Amino acid sequence: MNRMTVTGKRDIIYSDQLGLVYKIRNAKKNGEPNFLTALKDVTLGVHKGEFLSIVGPSGCGKSTFLYVLAGLIKKTSGAAYIDGEEITGPALNRGIIMQQYALFPWRTVQKNVEYGLEVKKLPKQERARVADEFIELVGLSEFSNRYPYELSGGMKQRIAIARALAYDPEVLLMDEPFAAVDEQTRGFLHAELLRIWEKTNKTILFVTHSIDEAIFLADRVAIMSASPGTIREVLDIDLPRPRSEEMKSSREFARYRSFIWQHLQAPTDITREVLTERGRILAAEPNEVAI
Amino acid sequence: MSKALNLAGGYLKSILGVLVFLLAWEIASRIGLINNTFIPPFSKVVVNLAELIADGTLFHHMAISLMRSLAGLGLGIGVGVPLGLAIGQIPAVERFLGSLLETLRQTSVLALIPVFILLLGLGETSKIAMIFWGTLWPILLSTIGGVKGVDPTYITASRSMAETRVGVFLKVILPAALPSIFTGVRLAATGAVMLLIAAEMVGASSGLGFLIYDYQVKYQIPKMFAVIAVFSIMGLVLNFGFVNAEKRLIRWRPE
Ligand SMILES: Nc1ncnc2c1ncn2[C@@H]1O[C@H](COP(=O)(O)OP(=O)(O)OP(=O)(O)O)[C@@H](O)[C@H]1O
Ligand SMILES: [Mg+2]
Repeated sequence: MNRMTVTGKRDIIYSDQLGLVYKIRNAKKNGEPNFLTALKDVTLGVHKGEFLSIVGPSGCGKSTFLYVLAGLIKKTSGAAYIDGEEITGPALNRGIIMQQYALFPWRTVQKNVEYGLEVKKLPKQERARVADEFIELVGLSEFSNRYPYELSGGMKQRIAIARALAYDPEVLLMDEPFAAVDEQTRGFLHAELLRIWEKTNKTILFVTHSIDEAIFLADRVAIMSASPGTIREVLDIDLPRPRSEEMKSSREFARYRSFIWQHLQAPTDITREVLTERGRILAAEPNEVAI
Repeated sequence: MSKALNLAGGYLKSILGVLVFLLAWEIASRIGLINNTFIPPFSKVVVNLAELIADGTLFHHMAISLMRSLAGLGLGIGVGVPLGLAIGQIPAVERFLGSLLETLRQTSVLALIPVFILLLGLGETSKIAMIFWGTLWPILLSTIGGVKGVDPTYITASRSMAETRVGVFLKVILPAALPSIFTGVRLAATGAVMLLIAAEMVGASSGLGFLIYDYQVKYQIPKMFAVIAVFSIMGLVLNFGFVNAEKRLIRWRPE
């Protein structure tokens, strides 16, 4: 799995110097609007079919980036493309799975999964068939007729994944989907997600603030830094697949971990250069780290 | 069999308080602890109630009262829900109507009874209008609250699936606001019963409220209590009915 980290319009998603400024109202009593640069010059290409993780500290703009890609908020500068077309709003070629599960509590599991299919105007029977298929894929068939309040957090998250997969988007945008579940369940959900990813051949953009999670799942890890939020490095993860828990204690894994850790620590551009140097040193060791 | 007995036992326990109260009433009135001209024994009230049922008086007036409250409540729902949805959804409408509604809301419907009579006379219209006015506010306010309280993540989730604005409104905002709207309607309905008494006591010639007033004037105290009891039972039934309908209609919440 040797991939180049260059970006370009041939990528399924391509973010070209994307910038986003939030206007904060009532920040001060005098009514002057305040501005917050959440994203600055974010350039990133996502290859078709890959699993790309984005790690970064809290508040660095990870969710904002995904929301722009989902078409839910408008960028301020630059541009983002999907399949070479500029993203201007939401569409069913992208599915976002939000930090909160956001299942509709008044709909059963089945009807939740059917939601996107209704927007797609699929006939009733077809909707039911597709929903069944994806509820089965996430292993929750016996819960089809339950309401969300009757499910555990991990189950809800799996249903949210099924709902996004059901309308067959090309890209899944996942925003810290497993942050709220316990360690054991998370391990299980990782295995599930990788299985589903391999089965459906989707492109996945996975946001997390857990370094281990980012490495374990991904083909590549994009490292984001805060204020202003920007992509600092993109790291190739050359761990074989299928991934296993034991890999987390391997030397390569430790190397990736410390590389990312150091890059997350670096607050300024000056230390950044030093760190890139260190990254090269790391890369010089066997099982090289591609930068 | 024992399960049925248990159930009956549980039911008995739950109404024990009521039974004790009625028994105390009965005894206190019979031994003269309370003045039995003004508060006749409960058994006497029951006998009078039976008479009112038997000669058809009760149902005649009850039908009239129910018609008035249903018409008023129906209007309250018909105006309150759409208006509340518009105010909750469209900021321009809220800015335009907000302060006006806030002022009107503070004006007690009881204080307005004379105004209604002056404007609409003593007929059905003024009574229905009063009930409409009284039911409008709880429905309107809980509808606005319901719409504004919709968790924005549901709207975002829906929008992310390329849902249209109309779709978001019909398939997310409306169902999410429904429990709140329903609570408003329940409050309005129980309030409507109270308003009805007031409305019918002031210049009416029919209805349960009129009946209470009429029996009081004619000094038929046991009959007056019989009608009051009917009001209590109506309130109970109404609340029970609404709570059950709510459970049936909104099954997606715990409990
Ligand atoms: N709607 C908004 N209006 C104004 N500022 C916002 C808004 N949403 C986010 N921000 C700000 O933009 C920055 C980036 O927020 P964002 O939610 O994208 O961060 P994040 O990386 O997802 O953080 P976390 O890991 O905690 O979820 C933060 O400083 C946040 O305060
Ligand atoms: Mg976030």
